[in-house]
Amino acid sequence: MHISEGVLSPGVLIAGAGLTAAGVAVGLRRLENEEIPSVGILSAAFFVASLVHVPVGPSSVHLILNGLLGLILGWKAFPAILVGLALQALLFQFGGITTLGVNTLNMALPAVVCHYLFSWGVGIGARRLVFILSAFAGGCCAVFLSSMLVGFSLYLTGEAFLPVAKVVVAAHLPVMVIEGGLTAVCALFLRQVKPELLEGAYVPKLSSQPQNGSG
Amino acid sequence: MCQNCHRSHRMARGRRLFFCLLFTALWLVFFNAPALAHKVMIFAWVEGDTIHTQSKFSGGKRVKGAQVLVFDSEGNQLLEGKTDEQGAFSFKVPKKTDLKVVLRASMGHMAEWKIPAEEITAVGDVSGGSLPEVGVKVATEEAAHSTDVRSSGGLSVPETMGLSRQEVEEIINKCLDRKLTPIIDMLVNAMDRGPKVTEVIGGIGYIFGLVGVALYFANRRKRE
Repeated sequence: MHISEGVLSPGVLIAGAGLTAAGVAVGLRRLENEEIPSVGILSAAFFVASLVHVPVGPSSVHLILNGLLGLILGWKAFPAILVGLALQALLFQFGGITTLGVNTLNMALPAVVCHYLFSWGVGIGARRLVFILSAFAGGCCAVFLSSMLVGFSLYLTGEAFLPVAKVVVAAHLPVMVIEGGLTAVCALFLRQVKPELLEGAYVPKLSSQPQNGSG
Repeated sequence: MCQNCHRSHRMARGRRLFFCLLFTALWLVFFNAPALAHKVMIFAWVEGDTIHTQSKFSGGKRVKGAQVLVFDSEGNQLLEGKTDEQGAFSFKVPKKTDLKVVLRASMGHMAEWKIPAEEITAVGDVSGGSLPEVGVKVATEEAAHSTDVRSSGGLSVPETMGLSRQEVEEIINKCLDRKLTPIIDMLVNAMDRGPKVTEVIGGIGYIFGLVGVALYFANRRKRE
């Protein structure tokens, strides 16, 4: 899923970087102080997820977890994924610094789309079955959209779209299923132990409570 | 009371789920450790007049059926081919210049390896250009030298073995290639190490550090 350096044309790289900058700006503007730790923890989860290798299919693929980030964070997935990818590029040489913009866009934009499509179902009030199905669909759909975006990026650089997209989607089919399941399990877990995370509205409630002096 | 029961039941279930998740995560991270991650690499070395390449994903999985392109120093494409089932691809040296071997795997993965011109030794039978001439010159020089030596009554190496300097060089190159093969194999295998635990923990540390910095600024803003 990480596009290497030197594959894409400068125009695609610049466009990707610009759109990512816009997305990160939106994410940071929506970031409340109380959410900073949870964004950090999910960013760390994203950073580590790429090390979990899925040994199925014709290529070498790994978990992405962008669906989970999208469902919980919404637009704040942009800064979280940017940080995770930058560290992956620096420490593991996955992707690269010049392709950071495009890669962030390819993974964070599907996260945001999935947030709008499925996060209504992933609330504490939702019925259990609806909850599980929405979380699964969110995880699945984010990976699918990311694969399509990777194919599209390569298409913009001059490769034929359909064969590339087919390869990318086929390689990620097992990942889609695994991610869907993992997202559902994680969301269920959070519903049990930390339901506030799933309710986007918890922040005003918290901040409206009287603040005790520190210590 | 009953609500309490319900709550403790829920908590127990949550805890159980938590441990399940924890163990799954640990299992995935540590038991898949040698076969991790996602990056391609190509490694090329010269053996006589042939260049061998080996392509891998990080973690050691071979890159099958990927495109390999060979460029000269000016960026002209000299030849292309596909990797086989073992991720290997070999070709004859097309030209004695700095070569750049580029691997293009699917899904936007790319890697390259540069071979400087000095590494390409066996060019006499490839380019057929200036080098044989040099060889001849060397041979005649040696001949002159050896007659000289003989006239002074000593024994000379080229005379006794009947070999020109070029032939000696070729023999040495062949021997070296044979001896170096296991070392090259070791290098090829050493190249594909996945990310180390230290790097993973370092990355997580960076993220927590960033969270700390963000919280610091958020707090300062709040106080102002």
